[in-house]
Amino acid sequence: MATETIVYDKIKGVHKIPLEEFYTSGHRTCQGCESATTMRAFIKVAGPRTVVTGSTGCMYVANTSYMTTPWIVPWMHTQLGAGGSSAIGMAAGLRALKRKGKIKDEPINAIAFCGDLGGGDMGLSGISGALQTDYDLLIIMYDNESAANTDIQATGLSTYGAQTTFTPPGSKHRIMQKRWKKNVAGMLAVGHPTCKYVATACATFPPLDYMNKVRKALAVGGPTFIHTYDPCPKGWDFHPRYSHEIGEFGIKSGLYPLFEIIEGQVVYTYDCRKTAKGRTPVKEFLEAQGRFAHLIPEDVDYIQKRVDDMWEEWDIPGVAPIKGVLKA
Amino acid sequence: MIKRVEINYRGIFQKNLGKKIGSDIVIIASRMGRIGFSNGRYSDSPERNGIPCKYFAFVSHDLSEEELEAECGAKLDIDQCDISVVLDDTMLKGVEPWGWHGVRPINEKVQPNGTLLVVTKRTPDELLEFIAKKPYSWKLATYSGDLSFGGLWVFRDDLTHEKTLGAVAGIDSDIIGIEAAEGYLRYKTPKEPARAEAARLAYEEVRKTVRTVKPGEGVEWKHEIPVLPKWFEFMEGAAVPAVKREFSLGPKGQSRNETFKRGTTKNQRPVVRFDLCTKCTLCWLECPDQCFDQTDDGLYDIAYEYCTGCNKCAQACPVKECIVMVDELQFTDDSSPWEAYKANPEKYTEWAEDRKSTGRYIHPMVTGTGLEFLEGELVPFGGKRASPKK
Amino acid sequence: MIAEEPKTKNVYEREDLLTGCQAVSQGVRLADVDVIAAYPIRPYTEVMDALSKIIADGELDAEYIIADSEHSQFEIVKHASSVNARAFAGSSGTGWCYGFEALVVTATDRLPVLFLVGNRALDDPGAFGVEHNDAMAVRDMGWLLAWVTTPQEALEHVLIGYRIAEDKRVRMPMALAMDGAFLTHSQHMVKIPTAEAVRQFLPPYDLGEGRLHPDNPISIAPQVNEDWVMELRRQNWDAARRARGVIKEAYREFNAVFGERYSSPFFTEFMTDDADTVLIGLGTVCAPGRTACKRLREKGHKVGFVSLRWFRPFPTIELRESLKRFKAVGVIDRDFAHGSPDDGGIVMHEVRSALYPLKNRPAITNIITGLGGRDVSIDDCIRMYEIAQKSKTEDKLDNFVTWIGVRE
Repeated sequence: MATETIVYDKIKGVHKIPLEEFYTSGHRTCQGCESATTMRAFIKVAGPRTVVTGSTGCMYVANTSYMTTPWIVPWMHTQLGAGGSSAIGMAAGLRALKRKGKIKDEPINAIAFCGDLGGGDMGLSGISGALQTDYDLLIIMYDNESAANTDIQATGLSTYGAQTTFTPPGSKHRIMQKRWKKNVAGMLAVGHPTCKYVATACATFPPLDYMNKVRKALAVGGPTFIHTYDPCPKGWDFHPRYSHEIGEFGIKSGLYPLFEIIEGQVVYTYDCRKTAKGRTPVKEFLEAQGRFAHLIPEDVDYIQKRVDDMWEEWDIPGVAPIKGVLKA
Repeated sequence: MIKRVEINYRGIFQKNLGKKIGSDIVIIASRMGRIGFSNGRYSDSPERNGIPCKYFAFVSHDLSEEELEAECGAKLDIDQCDISVVLDDTMLKGVEPWGWHGVRPINEKVQPNGTLLVVTKRTPDELLEFIAKKPYSWKLATYSGDLSFGGLWVFRDDLTHEKTLGAVAGIDSDIIGIEAAEGYLRYKTPKEPARAEAARLAYEEVRKTVRTVKPGEGVEWKHEIPVLPKWFEFMEGAAVPAVKREFSLGPKGQSRNETFKRGTTKNQRPVVRFDLCTKCTLCWLECPDQCFDQTDDGLYDIAYEYCTGCNKCAQACPVKECIVMVDELQFTDDSSPWEAYKANPEKYTEWAEDRKSTGRYIHPMVTGTGLEFLEGELVPFGGKRASPKK
Repeated sequence: MIAEEPKTKNVYEREDLLTGCQAVSQGVRLADVDVIAAYPIRPYTEVMDALSKIIADGELDAEYIIADSEHSQFEIVKHASSVNARAFAGSSGTGWCYGFEALVVTATDRLPVLFLVGNRALDDPGAFGVEHNDAMAVRDMGWLLAWVTTPQEALEHVLIGYRIAEDKRVRMPMALAMDGAFLTHSQHMVKIPTAEAVRQFLPPYDLGEGRLHPDNPISIAPQVNEDWVMELRRQNWDAARRARGVIKEAYREFNAVFGERYSSPFFTEFMTDDADTVLIGLGTVCAPGRTACKRLREKGHKVGFVSLRWFRPFPTIELRESLKRFKAVGVIDRDFAHGSPDDGGIVMHEVRSALYPLKNRPAITNIITGLGGRDVSIDDCIRMYEIAQKSKTEDKLDNFVTWIGVRE
């Protein structure tokens, strides 16, 4: 399988996960913040020879309260739509300095993270630009399905029907969030033929999956992209105790397809097709969150139908919403 | 004359509650012909789950709205208040909303003869074991209630809102009167007399529980309040030093952000039965705040001063009764539980079981739908390893 | 025109016919820039065309990135600069505005990137002629901002610009502005310095403890609450004030290496001895301005011309000391500030406020001209002198601002 063709330092079990932290305690994130786990895990496996930029968003504002920082590795803020361009800047600068002998020639990871608003909406063209370069860089889009830092507004990646401060249920319109979730990882993979690695992941489920995807992305080299699904206790309205479960529900229900696209080959890392693991009802996922409290059974059925369609009808489930070719 | 009310609440869980209380104080006061306005501490936003936040309500009988605004409005925090409401009694251990703020006493802003008003199931005397002493005398009053946590979208409607209005009226009728509060609640929800009744009951309750706290009564405050550097005393280019890289096995082996700890975010902390631990790593792996330090014997110590009490470790732990969340007011220090266990396994386990006891509460998935009360199981030291969770 | 060569050594390798943009590209080559980010927009683009060829021919070893937008272009060089790479970018008109957010943070992060601004009128309607409002947009954001008037100056100010911007006492981004078309695209003979001479003048870029590298772990720009912003602004305010001294130092050094190129750093006076009336302006307007000045001198008028180079930091003391010698000052603005005091232009406001503390202030009058690339002729400038001269005698002008070159 394609995934085996990558030579990388695979973490083979939870006891083999590096113990040392490079994003450490003392950040202003929510209790049970899954995005904080996403941060912690990527830098843990990337290691200390890494430079990081973080776009404006929760993982910027919550993590760093001035004159303090939870980061042990070098970290820099970048603007909301600058996830891709900041990664290029760091990678290009380091490459030039090494080549010209101005700094020691050694591998240094350049990683940029951005949220769904910054990366999936505003910064999309910058990320596209980054994925067209030949720089070694990794862009991680942590997706908590909202502008979580401005008190939860809908983005292009919010789940259909979700309540946000821009999409409140009303007496006339029960559902204000009528947009279907934008498929960013699939779009980027399909649109950038020379990008060797695109993946989706969830910080804590399945165990090790995300950490190994980060390791693979860095090992493959060139510009790479990982989209993580980050349950948000604040905006999705569930108790922080259940951050892991909510992510697991979302993935097992097939709502959040987990895959890798390695040099043009798709590998499902949690295969929700009926022929494979199958799916749990999306109802279980929706009921567990206050942001869906206003939905009625028909809404749930509609979401279920679209998810079933994605897994059973699309030619490449979860990646490209294409059902085949019509004869001319 | 200005009356200032400060409402201390836990971010997000009590955001709607805190705001409703502040708003209704102003509405009721203005129904009484008084001038008032309400605001939140702006820099608390965007709020995070559990972070200590503040909402304010200001009332005057004689000042113009503009004068009142000038006195109270153009500020990010207040200097002093007549009443400081506390919506979660675990905040009595101190509040630290951001870095360089320091862990401040909850009664910091309570003025001479002002009142700290706490919704709790404990007595004032029990609470005073946590509250900082003051050079002057002030008042402490309590009214009973369960922890009232909701979510951003699903509000926890357990009458804490109405009780608090009644309690405020009970302490200082110059802010709002109880009849006016009842009248307003009946007018707003004519079909729900329970709301006005709840206000009246709390009104009577606080008038019984209120007691004067003498100068020097309370605890010595051990947390330093940091002094902010002058403009030429820190790096230019908006750069700040990173946390120094340090790692070794054992307690505090991992370097952490020294200038912003998160301890005051939690209202529960995990108590660990090291003797039941299977070393599965899950508590350490799931912790979003990197609080677990692996020890040389493969167990996981906890840096409690950084623990936010999110419950994830307790949820992830596959062993029954191994990690249990316990109310934060059961603890007086943040010392290493693993060291206590190693020093005397039996004594530690006894202590841990005593903290855990058997009466527990847990939040459902949608926080605002209420607390679930459960019966825990006591597991004596050396007793058979408890059965795995189903 | 180049003043006498320094006695000691030949500091120029050759002479070429270059446009303003091409001259800048030579300056970038000589500065051994590490990272360049390009995005096309007239008229600045030609510098990127030239640089891509310079790199293709192996004359400069640099990363050349074709960005997806100005916003990305500016963010790329900002972050390249943060890892201690010398970086170059540029833009014009609305492109400059499109990346404005990135321009603001480059200054607040105190990253000394050098940008070429090929001045261009702002849309709408889509325009391409010169107008100074684009570059002027960064004037209060913590930027160094200077205008050059010849390709030779343009090349030299890439070197001077990096030296000032990267100085530890300054560390501010530099906007090198030049008039679109008239300078970006007109060709002149340019003397190109030797790499050795440049090495003597321009030290390597070293961000020191501010650089983002695993050996220097820092966090840059964590989120602030109300407890910090004012102190950070105060730091940047100080840097902008320190910059004035560093600028003087840089020109002294430049003259020492390259011969007496610049009589004074901030502005150049022409025929101002014993003058009673002067015009002051930015950019290429100095050519017709000085020529008109000469013609009027021939007729016995006591006139002079002040060509302003540095706008940020503004040479408050120096300009005040200079202009107080005159009875009347006519300020030429190739920009607009609609609805501003007396409805004048940006340069007038700054000059007038610099003169305010004087007991006996010269009469001030304001000319708006050359907008959107409209020609400014010698005759136009003679008219400007007449208007300025008139302002001496009339204590109140019925129209303080005169538009010259507009159809009416």
